[in-house]
Amino acid sequence: MSFYFAIVGTKDNPIYEAEFGTSKQGGDGVARFREEQRSMNQFIVHSSLDIVEEVQWATPTMYMKCVDKFNNLQVSCFLTAGNIKFLLLHDQKADDAIRQFFTDVYDLYTKTLMNPFYEVDMRITSGVFDGKVKQAAKKYL
Amino acid sequence: MSSAFPSLRTRPTLPAGGVSKATSVYLRSSTTPVHSSVTSLNSLFNQTNLNSPRPPEDEDCKGLVRRSFVPCIAVHVADDTNELAREKGFADFKDMLRPYGESIQGRITIRDSQGISTTHDDYGVRFVSLTDVAGSGEKWESGASRPMNGSSEKAANGGSGVFQGGSVEEVEELVNLHMERAEELNETSLPSDGDAPAFNQSFYMLYLRRILSALPLSPHETFSHPVACVIATSSRNANPIDSLRNLYNSGSRLPLPDYLSTDYLRYYVFVHDEDRDDIKKSTQLFDQMKKHFGLHCHLLRLRSGGASVISDDDAVVVPKSQWISAAEELHGIHYDDQQPTACLPDSDAAGIQTVVREMTQVSVIPFMERCIATWNDQVASRRRGISGRFISMSKRYFSTSSSRNSTSSSSNYDALHQSYPPSSPEAQMRKLADYAFMVRDWRLAHSIYELLRTDFNNDKAWKYHAGAQEMAAISLILTGTGLTSKVRADTIAPMLDLSCYSYLSRCSATYHALRCLLVAVELLRIRGGGAADEAATWAIRARDMNAQGTIGHALITERVGACYTIREGIGSGAWGARKRKAAMWKMLAAGEWLEVAKLAQSRRCLDAALPAYRGSRFLHVHGFMEHLKQQAGYTPLLMDLQDGRRRKGGEGGGEEDSDDEEGVEIQSETLHAGLKRKSLIVGREVEREVENEAESGLNRFIDC
Repeated sequence: MSFYFAIVGTKDNPIYEAEFGTSKQGGDGVARFREEQRSMNQFIVHSSLDIVEEVQWATPTMYMKCVDKFNNLQVSCFLTAGNIKFLLLHDQKADDAIRQFFTDVYDLYTKTLMNPFYEVDMRITSGVFDGKVKQAAKKYL
Repeated sequence: MSSAFPSLRTRPTLPAGGVSKATSVYLRSSTTPVHSSVTSLNSLFNQTNLNSPRPPEDEDCKGLVRRSFVPCIAVHVADDTNELAREKGFADFKDMLRPYGESIQGRITIRDSQGISTTHDDYGVRFVSLTDVAGSGEKWESGASRPMNGSSEKAANGGSGVFQGGSVEEVEELVNLHMERAEELNETSLPSDGDAPAFNQSFYMLYLRRILSALPLSPHETFSHPVACVIATSSRNANPIDSLRNLYNSGSRLPLPDYLSTDYLRYYVFVHDEDRDDIKKSTQLFDQMKKHFGLHCHLLRLRSGGASVISDDDAVVVPKSQWISAAEELHGIHYDDQQPTACLPDSDAAGIQTVVREMTQVSVIPFMERCIATWNDQVASRRRGISGRFISMSKRYFSTSSSRNSTSSSSNYDALHQSYPPSSPEAQMRKLADYAFMVRDWRLAHSIYELLRTDFNNDKAWKYHAGAQEMAAISLILTGTGLTSKVRADTIAPMLDLSCYSYLSRCSATYHALRCLLVAVELLRIRGGGAADEAATWAIRARDMNAQGTIGHALITERVGACYTIREGIGSGAWGARKRKAAMWKMLAAGEWLEVAKLAQSRRCLDAALPAYRGSRFLHVHGFMEHLKQQAGYTPLLMDLQDGRRRKGGEGGGEEDSDDEEGVEIQSETLHAGLKRKSLIVGREVEREVENEAESGLNRFIDC
């Protein structure tokens, strides 16, 4: 089971991307995407923004669960108060684990946002952020 | 076919100016590899008027569906009448009537079961030869419709074999041929922004039309069962009345398939030869005919003078048949190379139009209305009433307690032949529903299909069951009542789902499953809104069915994009629109077209997909699009034209001059042109960043 995680800004621009595999059931946490799948992942995540924009008005919570499907891949979404979307591409249903993961990442993102040198929609290049996201992924996914 | 196509040849990079364009035309025609289809390109041209604009109703999917399920009229004529038609340049009499039956001149008035008259101006009927119907009876199961043995011999005789629709492969082969033709035309001409959508649509429309053309004869649906039979003889016959009588008898004796009901309407036509015979004698004979055969008679006056008598002035070109099966069109392309365009004198064309119109309006439609009324009273209402329910229930509960055999004996279903006998109430009700569907009384049709669904399910008549589900869903969509999302989710979706399941898993009838899905997709798509979303879902289902080859697959992929495109958003932000989804599917289609070396088609898909990804800063997306663009030899001519125009309108023509294409170094230009435009929106710094990223992405794709 591999995951592709992207934080998408307000102008459909990715501000953070990561790939990781599952750490449950003896997984080593390494994503196993074939090369052509990599671009497909981005296309799928990008296209699911259409659905997110529709669902966001009808869902009271920030976590929208699984919003879109493509073949056997699913996209789960978490929408922050500042219209930043966390999108996770996964191939198995795991609502609760993903919710916990998103909550952790939201925490991290909010901390990044508090950085006076960071502006909304800027790409997050911090190694610390990256490490912590990977840690959260390892913990929950 | 695609192996003969030069794979992935790049577009000439020179700008196609006046002179170079002309030379490239010349070069292309001389360097094109010769294979079988090239020799027949002329006939391809004649046959299907690729270069002339398709009729506007081509885009009208609802009309397409309505016009594909129309009454089928068999033709059984004496040899002398066929001879007369042959002298005029047709294969036989049926061939002469057929183009005029497809779109009947004027309006047709139909009374529905409530007694309300409606008029339709796009009504049509199909003419088939009665011997073809008899001949195709046992073949429908295997789906082999191409005349396998002795087809060349038949072609040499000038006649044609039995052509039937229902073969997905043939449809694809045909569309492929058309596409290759269009690719060659397209290579030599610049795409103008006006014809792009039409081009895109027309191949899918052609595909759909050919799927729906010449529905194969099958027990489980009666659309291709003859409603009426034209029996004709001509004044050349020495004894026309006897000849008609013989035709009647021989028509009844033909070995028609068992499931075919033979109580169709007989319509008698007497063809009078203006140039050879005396009209007085013919009128007398015609009066005699009326006395013998009743009111369903018609006198058709034709000229047989040949070319010498008919001047160019009053000759009219016979319209091409739009609804011939793919097999027949392919046959025409492959064998009848230099078939001249058929022409008829004005008076003849008018005469044929009148006979077809009269027959439909005065005889066939009232006949169908009568049948509907009778069956509705006698069969359907009995089934609908309390006693009917009780009988069907008791059949269900009491017969299952005993052994299997008694089940099959108590039901009318013949499991061995997988059909109901035509006299059984089930078969009659299916026929009633189909008739109601054909006269466009959707409501009645839907209610009958609903009844049949459960009956067929109880009898385990799976193909019938699938067919009833399919038509129940389609007629429900066509009724035009408010299709709420609840109705769609609770009624239509399960019906389509079950229908597909039964067709595919229980009957392995992929053609029917594909047809069912594609029709539903089109009907849902034009409703827009949430239905368009579901249309896309069903189209994806059809795509995943793998019933079709690469061409069909790519066409359907593109159609998914079209389904998403049609959904419009609300408000300034266009919330709820599906532009990104549409772009993704167009991009996928572009990739699939590349694989089968259809560059022009691929470029058109890219045209639709690129605007959504133009500013995209997803690295792989950007790299992938660049890769596709390069592979397809894409030049953003079309987009830049439109773009420039839009900006000229919007900002009064300020800064678009800077990135006008010079056209010399197109490949490198594309990258820069796209990026420059972006620089208007984002800062300089970002541009450099994106440029670097794009290049690295591009390199990675070239590497792998």
